[in-house]
Amino acid sequence: MRLTALAVLLGVALAAPTGPAMAAWRGYISHPLGFAFAAPGELKVEKGTYQGTVAGQHDTLIYRFIDDNIEYKAVVIDVGDKANDAANLLGEAEYLFQEKKKVLMDTFGRVDRQYGRKFTIELPNNGGRTTAAFYFVNGRIVSLQATVLPANGDYETPEMGRFVDSITFFTVRAADDAIELPAPPK
Amino acid sequence: MRRWVSAAAGTALVLAVTPAQAGWKSYINRELGFSFMAPGEIKTDVGTFRGAVAGPRETIVYRSVDNNIEYKVTVMSFLQAQAEGATILGEREYMFQEKKKVLMDAFGRVEPGKDAVYGRKIVVDLPDHKGRTTGAFYFTKGRLISLEATVLPANGDFGSPDPALFVDSIAFTLSRTEPGAVELETPKLE
Repeated sequence: MRLTALAVLLGVALAAPTGPAMAAWRGYISHPLGFAFAAPGELKVEKGTYQGTVAGQHDTLIYRFIDDNIEYKAVVIDVGDKANDAANLLGEAEYLFQEKKKVLMDTFGRVDRQYGRKFTIELPNNGGRTTAAFYFVNGRIVSLQATVLPANGDYETPEMGRFVDSITFFTVRAADDAIELPAPPK
Repeated sequence: MRRWVSAAAGTALVLAVTPAQAGWKSYINRELGFSFMAPGEIKTDVGTFRGAVAGPRETIVYRSVDNNIEYKVTVMSFLQAQAEGATILGEREYMFQEKKKVLMDAFGRVEPGKDAVYGRKIVVDLPDHKGRTTGAFYFTKGRLISLEATVLPANGDFGSPDPALFVDSIAFTLSRTEPGAVELETPKLE
């Protein structure tokens, strides 16, 4: 009896997944920026730049996570100085995102009174597949982008949709234990 | 000779049963900052629009009908809510296609380079076989401008190139407008 139980336990241990453990999803919130979302993995904060012919050059703030060879990014482009051109700036950012890429999905995004768009594209040179959502809120282009890298290879994973659909602009809808997102590095 | 007469008579018959294609003209409204081309006689009207985000709005409508295709340009002013333009435009596009069969939904881009105005072009089948509408939607300089061309069932040629010709004729850089374009009046809104 004891031997049988041991054999079963050993079998279970051997059958357990040998790949990297998938991280738990956590809620994140930025009260100054007015949005919240959920993502797995360790948070890194980066700065970058965005360039559009209409928008010009603008600083970007990127909250990045990587888990199970899927990269999750929340990108915030501050275009407050041109906020009156909101529709055009959002349209340009969406256009640039999908330009010269194979578009698999292009549809309405509608969250908390905000209308935007959601896309799924294939990256060139078998670089993976990205699902993204774009919104314009309070003088900022807010984009969530999840990229399944070739090392993951499961391009049908629901995790991409889960990430981009987790955005909320009503911060009261954020998870109760949501972590406050840090300000960008100086 | 008899054959020639019968051919001419046939041509005359065809011409008689095909509605005359009215000539296309350019129209311009310098105050509102756009121009377009359309056939038929343009009539100016005011109307109303209501969206959950946009709220109630008065609209300026330029409309013509030719060969059982209705051409419509609608202008709404949001000068006090320009920073909300992206959502207001998105709501208008969403309402246009809601509960309809969408045949096309693509980027619209008018004017080159830094003058580019980005919007959407959408083709829908109207419910109850009421026709097919091609729409283009833009938000620029505080105004939401939409062009809609509806091929009515009485026309029946739902593959007609005329709706695309209409929506693609929009220009926001007025130096591109044909010389001699007809000046459109801007009706006073309340």
